[in-house]
Formats: sequence, C-alpha cells, structure tokens
Amino acid sequence: MPVVSASVVAVVLFSGAVAGGLGSTLGIGGGIFLVPFLTIVMGWPIGVTAATSLATVIGTSSAVSAGRTGSHLINFRLGMVLEVATAAGSLLGGITAQYLEAHLLERIFSGVTLIVGLATLSRVNRRNVLVGDVDPGVLGGRYVEAESGGTVSYKIRRLPLALVASFVAGNVSSLLGIGGGVIKVPVLNAWCGVPLRAAAATSAFMIGVTAAAGAIIYYGNGQLVPALAAAAILGVQAGTAIGGRLGERASARSLKLLLAAVLFVVSALMCYRSLA
Amino acid sequence: MTSPQDRATSDRRLADEQIEARLGRVLRIGVVASTGMLSVGLLLTLALGAGQVPALLLTLGLVLLMMTPVARVAASVVEYGRRRDWTFTVLTAIVLAELIAGVVAALVFHRRL
Repeated sequence: MPVVSASVVAVVLFSGAVAGGLGSTLGIGGGIFLVPFLTIVMGWPIGVTAATSLATVIGTSSAVSAGRTGSHLINFRLGMVLEVATAAGSLLGGITAQYLEAHLLERIFSGVTLIVGLATLSRVNRRNVLVGDVDPGVLGGRYVEAESGGTVSYKIRRLPLALVASFVAGNVSSLLGIGGGVIKVPVLNAWCGVPLRAAAATSAFMIGVTAAAGAIIYYGNGQLVPALAAAAILGVQAGTAIGGRLGERASARSLKLLLAAVLFVVSALMCYRSLA
Repeated sequence: MTSPQDRATSDRRLADEQIEARLGRVLRIGVVASTGMLSVGLLLTLALGAGQVPALLLTLGLVLLMMTPVARVAASVVEYGRRRDWTFTVLTAIVLAELIAGVVAALVFHRRL
C-alpha cells in the first residue's frame, strides 16, 4: 500500500488537479489521465489506483451535475435509462476481471478506444442538432447552446447501441478505474444523435452511479487509502472546476479533434502495455 | 389553442424540471458535506499525523461521497413514483437494486479479508 506523507499528498493533489482539468475540458473525466499516472509514475498497485480514481469520478460527477441542473444540458431521462445498463456492467466488471487475462483486457480496451477515436474523427464536422423548436420525444432533449445562444433540440437514435456502449463503459470503468465517459461520449455523439456537450453532461451525470457500483466493492476490499483518496478527490474537484469553464468556451469541433487525439494516445499506450 | 398533446409535453417538461432541481439538491448536499469532511480530515492528518478523529472524518467523507449517487437514485425512484411515471420508477428502482447489490458484494468481500 502507498505510504501517506506530506509530499505524496501534495503530488496526488497536483496530479489530480491536472487530470481533472484536462478531463473536464474534454467532458470525459480525469480518470483516463490519473490512472496511468498513479500506476506508471507513482508505482501504485492497479487495485489501489482504480479505487482512488473511481472515488474521484464519483466526486466529479456529483459536483459537476449539481452545478448543471437547470441548464438542460444533462438529459436526465436518457441518463437514467442508460444507468440500468452501466450499473450492471460495472457490477459484472469485478467478476469479468477474474476470468479474463489482464493483457487481453488491455488489448480490448486499446481496440475499442481506437474504433471510437476513428468514429469521432469521421464525424467531426457533423452536427446532431435539429433546427427549430421541434418535439424531441421522451428521450430526446433541448437546451440553449452557450456557444451560439440558440435553442438546440435532438432526438435519440439507436438506443440499443447506447445501452450496449453503457454496459461496456460500466464494465471497463470497474476494471480500469476510469469513468467510462471515454466510451459513452463518442458513441452517443457519433451514432445516437446526441450533441457533444449534451453527451458529455449526460455521461458526467451517469458516471457517479457507474463509479459508485465499482468503488464500493474496492472500498470493501480495503483498497482505498483514505488520506490519499481524499487528496486525489480534492485535487480533481479543483481541476474540474477550472477545466469545465475552458470546455464551455472552446468550439465543438476543436473539442472533437482533441477528444480523437486523446483516444489515439490512450489506445497506443494500452496496446504498448499489453505487449510489454 | 394548445392541443392535448402539447399540454402533455409541457406538463412533462415542468415535472422534469422539478425532479432535476430536487436531484440537484441531493447531489449538492452530498458534495458539500463529503468535501468538507475530506478537507478537514486531510488537513488534520497532515498537521497531527494519523489519529482517530482525522481517520473518522476521512472515512465518513468517503462513505458519504460513495453514497451520494445512491441517494440520488433513491430520490429519483421516489420522485417518479410520486408522479406515477411507472416506466421511470421501475428503471430507477432497477439501478438502485444494482447499487445495493454492489454494497452486498462489498460486505461479502470485506468478510473474506
């Protein structure tokens, strides 16, 4: 288990803030940056890393979603439908992990992120928004876009695909300690008709449930070092508050390009790790 | 003239907004309380070293943090149930059951240690 000292706490706080800032700018959460850092640089065991990262994901999800109620960016109904699948995936993640080899998991993860990255890149100039004040249906949504000031409506397409992606995201979330937004956001955006910002906000809302299902099991297993988890949570909270503001100002196109780039890097890192 | 369908749509939107505001409040309380305990707990740990009070604060903060999404889902079950929106009452109840299954699994793992 990692030792608690003032310098370790400081490093964890700072890395949490950087990971939270990057993650919230992109709308995928900080776990995807925090997990490689804590595992590779700090040398923490993967179980402790995953538990710590999941705890930060819960904090981010609750804080960000509480701040966003009323903006209509979060699609509550869609989120709650998809949570059924994501929580199931998250619960089963612990079981799946015991039957699959770590290298195989890493290769699957690498392959999935590569495909999702390519999908994001291929639809970088397409917008999911409907023109005018049309009824978006029970699961669709409508919000005022900060970038243009106009009202934006969208309908949900391919709901079964969104459910499958949420299940996989929940599974990966438990196994690797990330929020799963890295899978859900691109799938919802590229194939299910949800605009990027609404996809990111809805995913951020859902990942609290996803991460809680996994984190509770890790915590029961004694894999959370309370002081270090607290440092990571507080660091990520601070970084998220700053990054969220940057994300609101950036254009949807540049966010998509950045997201695709991150996915390719993560895919390459995971592929390298699985072969090493 | 508003058609019955339009009225149903605007009723649904109004109900959704009330639910969102309530769920937002649950999340806000959870975040403020858990972050507060974690901050004080961490500061005390650094200032005084590991002790009973900081350890208790950190544990309470973490448990509260992990229970916040569970509380939000439980609140959703109640809110949709009160509005007789049975589809969503059932869906959110399934999510709650899945989370409780996680707690049960955690207790089982804990006993094995």
